[in-house]
Amino acid sequence: MKNGFTFFLGLFLAVALAWAGIVMGSHVQLGQLAPYFDENEGKAFPERMPGIAAQGQLVYQDLGCAACHTQQVRRPDFGSDKARGWGDRQSVARDYVSQAHVQLGESRVGPDLATFGARPLAVDATRLTQYLYEPHGGMPAYRFLFEERKITGERSADALKAAAPAGYEIIPTHRAVSLVAYLQSLNNVYEYPEARPVEPAAAKEGESK
Amino acid sequence: MTTAPQAANTAEVTEIDTSARWPLLLLLGSALLWLVLSGILALVNLMQLHTPEFLAGCSAMTYGRSSAIQETAFIYGWAANSGLAVALWLLARLGGAPLRSLNWVVAGTLFWNFALVLGIAGIATGDMTSNAWLHLPGYVLPMLLVAYGTIAVPGVLAWMGRRKEMTFAAQWYAVAALFLFPWLFSIAQMMLVFAPERGVLQALVAGWFVQGAWTLWLAPLALAAAYYLVPKVTGRIIPSYDFAQLSFWTLLFVGAWTGGRHLIGGPVPAWVATIAVVSCALLLFHYIVVAVNLRGAFCGGGSTVLKFVAFGLVAYVVGGFLDAYTAMRGVAVHTQFTHFSEGQSQLALNGAFSMLMYGAIYFLAPRITGLAWPSVPMIRAHYAAALTGTVILVVTLIGAGCVQGHDLNTATIPFADIAGHVRPWLLAATAGQAILLLGNLLLATHLFWLAAAKAATPAVFNPAPTMEASVS
Repeated sequence: MKNGFTFFLGLFLAVALAWAGIVMGSHVQLGQLAPYFDENEGKAFPERMPGIAAQGQLVYQDLGCAACHTQQVRRPDFGSDKARGWGDRQSVARDYVSQAHVQLGESRVGPDLATFGARPLAVDATRLTQYLYEPHGGMPAYRFLFEERKITGERSADALKAAAPAGYEIIPTHRAVSLVAYLQSLNNVYEYPEARPVEPAAAKEGESK
Repeated sequence: MTTAPQAANTAEVTEIDTSARWPLLLLLGSALLWLVLSGILALVNLMQLHTPEFLAGCSAMTYGRSSAIQETAFIYGWAANSGLAVALWLLARLGGAPLRSLNWVVAGTLFWNFALVLGIAGIATGDMTSNAWLHLPGYVLPMLLVAYGTIAVPGVLAWMGRRKEMTFAAQWYAVAALFLFPWLFSIAQMMLVFAPERGVLQALVAGWFVQGAWTLWLAPLALAAAYYLVPKVTGRIIPSYDFAQLSFWTLLFVGAWTGGRHLIGGPVPAWVATIAVVSCALLLFHYIVVAVNLRGAFCGGGSTVLKFVAFGLVAYVVGGFLDAYTAMRGVAVHTQFTHFSEGQSQLALNGAFSMLMYGAIYFLAPRITGLAWPSVPMIRAHYAAALTGTVILVVTLIGAGCVQGHDLNTATIPFADIAGHVRPWLLAATAGQAILLLGNLLLATHLFWLAAAKAATPAVFNPAPTMEASVS
């Protein structure tokens, strides 16, 4: 420890090696991962999300939804993700290649959302918008994503069927609309070659994707 | 400590301490304000977990944002400010010369805290980046980096210009923390915020950064305090000191590799998780050496400083073993994504880091001000509150995690019922957090009282124990 240079070199190596190993190592492996082109369907997966959904992803990010929701399905024999209907296959790296900001999440206070777009609640945009306005057990209402507006002339087509003071209506803001579009776009269900569930006997060999 | 005046020992306080008084008090004062703020928000968060409608109408206080603000205030507010103050002070003491360029510390602290206020306002109003431990918006990150550098300058000068060729474990840890954080922080900024990596690589960078910020920055800061205080207060040399160096390098070289343990079963290469599991096991060597080296903390003979340190060390070592245990796949499948992980991080942050910092603050504040702590009962009350609060918080969160993990993995239990099963545990955790907050309010009040005191009670220190290898 007497030699300052060796000491600092050691410190530098400590941070550099872990970075090179974990970050650059996986970068080499996954950095070039491209969408998978399905010739039968004539398009590539994962599909790019529509512009409004990309805006919704920013809303999801700035509200910190990932504090309670994960977006990663674990393989069928690891936890009960499949049994809970969160996804038939495990999530793989390719699912996320087209997302600007990946939010895997670390807490499941709320359910996993990786395949949320395929669930009954998400299929109907009106119902999902209404859902965000009302509290549901563990999830609070997000009323600040809505606007209470005086009805002038006809009622707006977007107005919620929620109780509003007489002469007023509840309208989702653009943030609410884009968040709903984003949630509907979450749909990691396409079966990539590397994502096909392995048979239990073969599963013992490893977990490589 | 100043609680048992026997013989005035003027040599205990030198120019090294008094010259750094105001810069260090500025760092500590800001640290404690952030600690109280983050404590209040932690209370709000726990209440939101068991009563989701609490403050739900306020967009700045929605759970996602308030928990991010809480974490940011704790790490960049409390931990950074207090850790830097303690590291600078002990580098000066062990280097044997007063800190130089203290104006840099003052300027850096002001800028650091200003940037942090700005960043937290950004999170509250919709600029959050949603990266664990790096929720701050991009526009304050470069300012934080520069401010950190300026605060650290006197520490580096104290190391380079030290009067003794020989160095101590406390110095290694302090210098490592000062030197490594800017690397971690700047790489994480680049790869997550300014030029984000592609796809799941973001999650890998985030995992590496969070683990690195703990094992290469916060844990070394806390250990620097422990390695200084234990021999200093007990007056005994560190047993098995030869291993300390090996343990230090083990933490540095193996620590950051354990980042993948949160990604077990996730959409990342399986080898990342496997390396994390192996590294967690390797790191046990470090925890064992720390326990052996610093076991003197448990025979402190009534020293309040050592009581805090002893608790912090227990939390640190237990936390290390718990990390290794929960990194195993068979266990992770139950604990992952639950309050169990939150309990583990509270054990590390509130249990290990904060407790060691409290001990260091009680030791250094009278020395830099030259004044005795105004109230001994307040110190005792803080210790009691910090101890019970942390134990309740950690145990109940872990309990909640076990229930939640079991329920999540039992598909026949409807998802909506889980919140109800976990609720009693979270109510108890809220009580724990409230007690902890009360204790931290006591410490903050006490420090401001001490700083405002006008030489009313000059500090009288216990005679410094003589040591074979002591430079200050």
